[in-house]
Amino acid sequence: MAFAWKAAGITYNRYLAIAARVVRRSLKEGPRLQAERRGEMDLRFAKWQNGKQGENKSLGEANASAMAEQAKAE
Amino acid sequence: MSSVRIARTALRARSAAIARPVQRRGYADAVSDKIKLSLALPHSSIYKSQDVVQVNIPAESGEMGILAQHVPSIEQLRPGLVEIIEEAGGSKQFFLSGGFAVVQPDSVLSINAVEGYALEDFSSEAVNSQIQEAQKIASGGGSEQDIAEAKIELEVLESLQAALK
Repeated sequence: MAFAWKAAGITYNRYLAIAARVVRRSLKEGPRLQAERRGEMDLRFAKWQNGKQGENKSLGEANASAMAEQAKAE
Repeated sequence: MSSVRIARTALRARSAAIARPVQRRGYADAVSDKIKLSLALPHSSIYKSQDVVQVNIPAESGEMGILAQHVPSIEQLRPGLVEIIEEAGGSKQFFLSGGFAVVQPDSVLSINAVEGYALEDFSSEAVNSQIQEAQKIASGGGSEQDIAEAKIELEVLESLQAALK
């Protein structure tokens, strides 16, 4: 089975996250406000090299750019 | 002396009975007509090993109805409507965002999804406005990833719109 989003470098995990996000946004006001809190993710990471902390990056943005690179490489 | 012999033959008769269980097996004792359903989301479980009659799932390979004694299989789910026919005869419908259904031996069914809600929790206005927005992005000049994401959203929203009608 071919999935169109795979060509854009999108992983299955990301696909599920997008589908879940759009389902949460389609809910009625009451359950939506509660549900949308589950979609928030704010992780940051830094690479340590030679005992020094590198640049502090957002995991979400780093993942997005990695997927774009993956799509270009193929 | 003779009582010992009787005891021995009795023992032998018993061990033979254990080795060869009764061969008679009626359809009624062999086949339970219920499925044990677990429908789990990361944040809650809607069904916890509950007996139900039938479950209809939107598998990637097509719509499937699962009854008791189904062949074990693993199915990837499309974003769509899961229908559960309960023992009492009523049926419940949940819209799942996508995940997997695992049919295990002995009529055990586990469905895992990221988000799942009953149909009455959705707002059709929210769905319609998001469809317009996603269509704009999908046909716009954004990055390849933005367009692919908008197309995924469209797939989910169109399935949701069809379910809400």
